[in-house]
Amino acid sequence: MRPTKTLSWLALGGVALALSACGGGGQEPTTDADGNTVIKYWHAYSADSPELKTLEDEVIPAFEKAHPGIKVESVPYPYDELHKKLLTATAGGTLPCLVRSDIIWVPELAQLGTLAPLSEEMDDFDKIAANTYDGPLATTEYDGKHYGLPLDTNTRVLMYNQATLDEAGMDEPPATFDDMRKLAEGLKGTGDFAFADNDTAGWNLLPWIWSAGGEMTDEGMTKASGHLNSPESVAGVQLLVDMYKMGEIPDLITGAQGGTETAVGLPKGDYATMLDGPWMFPIFEDQSPDFALKTAPMPAGDGGSISVVGGEDVVMTDSCPSKDEAMQFIEYLLGDDAQKAMAETGQMPVLSSLGSELTDIKPYYDTFAKQLQTARPRLPHPEYPKIEEILRTEVQKAFTGDTTVQEALDSAAQQIDPILAG
Amino acid sequence: MTDVVTPTASTSRLRAPRAGAGPRGGRGRGPVRSTGPRHGSRLTPYLFLLPGMVLFVGLILWPIVQAARMSLLDWKFTPGVSSPFVGLEHYDRAVHDPVFWKSLVNTGVYMAATVPTQLALGLVLALLLNKAIAGKVAFRVLYYLPVITSWVVVSLVFEYLFSTSSGLVNHVLHDGLGIGQEPVNWLGQRWPAMAVLSMLGIWKGAGWSMLIFLAALQTVPKDLLDAASVDGAGKVRTFFSITLPQLRPVVAFVTVMLVIGGFNVFISVYVMTGGGPGDDTQVVLTYMYKQAFEFLEFSYGSAIAYLLAIIIFGLSFAQMKLFKYDEEAS
Repeated sequence: MRPTKTLSWLALGGVALALSACGGGGQEPTTDADGNTVIKYWHAYSADSPELKTLEDEVIPAFEKAHPGIKVESVPYPYDELHKKLLTATAGGTLPCLVRSDIIWVPELAQLGTLAPLSEEMDDFDKIAANTYDGPLATTEYDGKHYGLPLDTNTRVLMYNQATLDEAGMDEPPATFDDMRKLAEGLKGTGDFAFADNDTAGWNLLPWIWSAGGEMTDEGMTKASGHLNSPESVAGVQLLVDMYKMGEIPDLITGAQGGTETAVGLPKGDYATMLDGPWMFPIFEDQSPDFALKTAPMPAGDGGSISVVGGEDVVMTDSCPSKDEAMQFIEYLLGDDAQKAMAETGQMPVLSSLGSELTDIKPYYDTFAKQLQTARPRLPHPEYPKIEEILRTEVQKAFTGDTTVQEALDSAAQQIDPILAG
Repeated sequence: MTDVVTPTASTSRLRAPRAGAGPRGGRGRGPVRSTGPRHGSRLTPYLFLLPGMVLFVGLILWPIVQAARMSLLDWKFTPGVSSPFVGLEHYDRAVHDPVFWKSLVNTGVYMAATVPTQLALGLVLALLLNKAIAGKVAFRVLYYLPVITSWVVVSLVFEYLFSTSSGLVNHVLHDGLGIGQEPVNWLGQRWPAMAVLSMLGIWKGAGWSMLIFLAALQTVPKDLLDAASVDGAGKVRTFFSITLPQLRPVVAFVTVMLVIGGFNVFISVYVMTGGGPGDDTQVVLTYMYKQAFEFLEFSYGSAIAYLLAIIIFGLSFAQMKLFKYDEEAS
């Protein structure tokens, strides 16, 4: 009996050892059958709009033609999945060479040591960076180094359906918080909603908080208490909660799924207004060609009309085995051709040299360019995703009526303070 | 993770007993010793075991050991960065975390709502479909269909059914029958959402209990039933005095599996409410997932997973003792 038992334990140990030896090891450059170097590029370009097609059928083939020997493999993920996928790939050592990362993930990825500092590794970095707008460029900076280059920028503006506004007797889109309340009053009993949004994350809440004169933290990002729960911040969220309680904002905002999506409800006339970015234009053109989408600035509160800066950066991973080839593609993405091609699909260019041509490419960029002048970025903090999740969860409690807005923001600030303190 | 959720996936680990195999079973124990000449070397059986062993060690045992290690460290995400040992700190944190307790209560509520209902429903369906009725096979297939349907798909379907403004349920209840002033916000409030989640669990799981009970009903000795009827026992009396006692080990087995499945509820909650609004419908596994994969607190997530494992182990052990499962089944 004994030798058999020993043998089985040995076998078990051997299997475990063999498995543990599998992980680790550096990455070898990937080549295809023809000997071309393959660069993997992860992104969240949407297949619902012409974005993905333009990237895969125009931008990448044009680059490959100009750079023989390099192939770019485009790997699209749904936006919500990409962040998780990046984190698991970081832990597992299976990252691609290039990633189009939401600007809010860059500090986190840089802090994890996932990204290569482009400002040090790229010869032409200063030259390329000088031609981009300062705001978007700042989103690539962490600890004094730039870990990427801006790829596209955007902000949220008010999109409205005039037919629904007419029901409330409004000839003009709501320009202030008071107009929003008036709109909500005017639509009562019609079954239509004054405003729709699909989450309570920073992207959704911050335009209201900032426009009300509130803020998330102090300037040095050291404290949320006294800022996130200030009377001004509360007023911004209160407007949304009041409209929700009136039945003028659909359940979508508390994360309830299965309702009419914002992009469907607006052209149908169920929703009078929503906040969204320039990429919606191609989507509406495709899905609701009869609907004339109109935009206006973010409604102003006591703090003005302040929206949130969005956008993406292209970043290179530190584990990339073919950095030279990858950087050639980055350079191409930041060139006029690629930027203009993507601009056709609602991806707002980041090159200051294209500024004057912007409205020639698409007239709808006008409202966005104006809104961007006052728009603010979300907290450039490595733990922003966690901070945002706390805000999101706490504010939901105010919507369901479990707490007041003040209590919800007090609690969020109290949980965020220790994260900021480090 | 997905595999553990459905009770069916775990059946292989617990041997389904033969109904009525109790004291009269008298099967031989242990493998039969070969008396013929030995074929092959002593290594042969191990070579046959190897493929399964590799999968078991690599996909189950290894992660279990790693998670235990992780839960005792302040595990750092980035490769190459050292992770300090912190002992039971993460377990201590969980015990003092109100959201963890809330998730435990929600899980308990889900279990209390789904386990007895699935047991009763499964047994009733099995008894009905054990008779010679027309379309018996079709009914069996229909009731079993939810079990083999993807959790994600049925969760999405329920989400649309129970949507506040455009869901079918509110359309019938509110617009059709005129019940209530306002349409019910099913998934945006704690208890209505838990009710919908439990309904989904029951609908999806009842067919599995039915199938096991159906199989067990075939093994209830016919002579006992005949004897009962000769003695003048009615249908109800026969059920409670003959059928149910004969099914006891199967009831025990189904209960244990359902409790384990109930504790492992994840996909439906993750898809339909995401634990929200404001952590109100968080169950243990969604909270663990949130800590690990959204907050990157893998150590804390592992500690929560281990606490859940301890609870499930304790409950299963208690149930087996309660049902005297071991003596009955072997």
